[in-house]
Amino acid sequence: MIEYDEFDKRMVLKLVYYGPALSGKTTNLLQLHDLLAREGRGDLMVLDTADDRTLFFDLLPFFLVAPSGLKIKIKVYTVPGQVRHDATRKAVLQRADGVAFIADSQLTQSCNNVESFENLEKNLAFVGLDAGTIPLVIQFNKRDLPDILPEAEIRQTWSPTGIPIRMASALNGIGVIDTFATLAGIAYDHLDLRYRLNVDHGLDRSEFLRKLTASTED
Amino acid sequence: MQDKDVKRSADYVVGQEKRLAEIITQMDILPLVKPVLQAGADSVRITDERENTIWSSGAGAVEDSIEISMPLYLEGEVVGLLHVTAPFTQESRLRRLAELLLESLRIILVNNLKMMLTSEVHTTVISQSYDELLEINRRLSVSERRYRDLAENLEIKVAERTEELKRAHSRLLQQEKMASIGQLAAGVAHEINNPLGFISSNLQTMGKYVARFIAMLEFYRTALADRVDNVELVESARRKWQELKIDMVRIDAVDLVSQSLEGAERVKKIVSNLKGFSHVEDVEQFPADLNSEIDKTLTVLSHEISDDTEIIRNYEPLPDFLCNPALLCQVFLNLILNALQLHKKGLRLEITTLSDGKNILLTFADNGPGIPENIRNRVFEPFYTTKDVGSGTGMGLTVAYDIVTGYGGTIDVNCPEGGGSTFSIVLPIIRGK
Repeated sequence: MIEYDEFDKRMVLKLVYYGPALSGKTTNLLQLHDLLAREGRGDLMVLDTADDRTLFFDLLPFFLVAPSGLKIKIKVYTVPGQVRHDATRKAVLQRADGVAFIADSQLTQSCNNVESFENLEKNLAFVGLDAGTIPLVIQFNKRDLPDILPEAEIRQTWSPTGIPIRMASALNGIGVIDTFATLAGIAYDHLDLRYRLNVDHGLDRSEFLRKLTASTED
Repeated sequence: MQDKDVKRSADYVVGQEKRLAEIITQMDILPLVKPVLQAGADSVRITDERENTIWSSGAGAVEDSIEISMPLYLEGEVVGLLHVTAPFTQESRLRRLAELLLESLRIILVNNLKMMLTSEVHTTVISQSYDELLEINRRLSVSERRYRDLAENLEIKVAERTEELKRAHSRLLQQEKMASIGQLAAGVAHEINNPLGFISSNLQTMGKYVARFIAMLEFYRTALADRVDNVELVESARRKWQELKIDMVRIDAVDLVSQSLEGAERVKKIVSNLKGFSHVEDVEQFPADLNSEIDKTLTVLSHEISDDTEIIRNYEPLPDFLCNPALLCQVFLNLILNALQLHKKGLRLEITTLSDGKNILLTFADNGPGIPENIRNRVFEPFYTTKDVGSGTGMGLTVAYDIVTGYGGTIDVNCPEGGGSTFSIVLPIIRGK
């Protein structure tokens, strides 16, 4: 959590989209920006990008107010995937409330996925977060491409870990909201335990998710 | 200064909230507001979300004027309000101007925030990389220092190790020497034992035969004394008896045989002590009576002990001590030899043994010249000797020290006021091993 001001009734959360280079983290955020209702969502801020590769990070902020008056801001970040930007990844990962790991489904990218996931575990430890308990969702992106890992195989590999797995084709807007809602849902469960969002602030899980993911078509 | 920088970079978290006043400055606002005022607005005021004025310009509320208020959004949240007051008549024109102003402010706000975030992340990343470089540098200098120390001390270290090796080697030599002496002694003892066996057995038989000869002689003599008919024969026999000094021979023969037997007995005892001392057969440890081990050592050294040397044995019964007795004999031998060699005339060596149930205490006190205090703590050092070059190895007390400490014991030397040295050995009866 970035900050929590009880007096000000204000809570600032951080969700991070992590993953190897070119796996579609920024595309996920762009799609969220386009698909979700304008109300309660800020503008997508793309920071210092050269050649479509995220150098610093992208930021998509959300804002909602609980019935109790608690203001909740959720900042969704992407990190640069390239190996050499490790310091930026560490900086962005600090005090994260949840991580969506965007994996590239292409067979040729398996190695990069593994490397990036190990990097995530290492950096979580570096910033003092527990990789075992932090809300985590894994999205296998680019399902629309040929030569991809079969879904059955992915589920067989990951289901023992209990980490939710989502299939997506971010470019086509498929699975993007699902991934985001899943992550937000787990993050809500974690927060509710500690800050009693439901009991003290009258904000239940479905309302929280509805406010965050209300689509433009609604 | 450096610490402060590190702290700041640690405190800053990407995503930290900024207040409106932090993001937008007077320099950003002024050029935008000026045309609005020129276009006829009475005042322009910007507040934060709690209506605290951040910036204002122009006169306050004027009669017949209307206030237009619009929320300023940032990251989906209302962060401030724009208030424009204008004469009632100008309302619609100024509303459009205010909308334009609001949009301009929003764009500046977003751009400023973006710039701030970029530079802050940049600073964070740079200072974090700097911290990492500092850490790497620190580790490198530590390792460099270690290598430099190593290089500097290499010669000293080599000398130390060489010295240690020399000591170990010479200790081995000493032990090897003792072992071969023991083996030689055992071999000699074995070779002597056989002839010694038949010598004493034959001597015993010889004694019996001598008794028979004497009995036979007595018989002849008595029988002859009654022969008065042959005085001549009696007289010549008496002369022959005297000429051959049979009276003396008769007594002396018995003595000679018994003395020879005594001598053989002594040789037997020495040989068996020699065998016991060398303990060549003992590989394992076994319970030994240290009093008798000291006695064996003294027997072996008997040729070194001159007539005017007085050895006093103050022995108390000792519990058995589990050890390799050959090693402890070596300790005793070295201590006793030291006393014998240092002080040849009128030596008085007092050996005391006692036990308190937990430890065995042995003291070897001599009336020799004693050891000067300045070298007393060096006598157990290897190669330390006060004897003439060639006559001492300087290893005797070192070997003793090693053996005693090997059994978990201690060995000390004291020199009382009146002269002489006292070596005290304490050996724990129950050891950890």
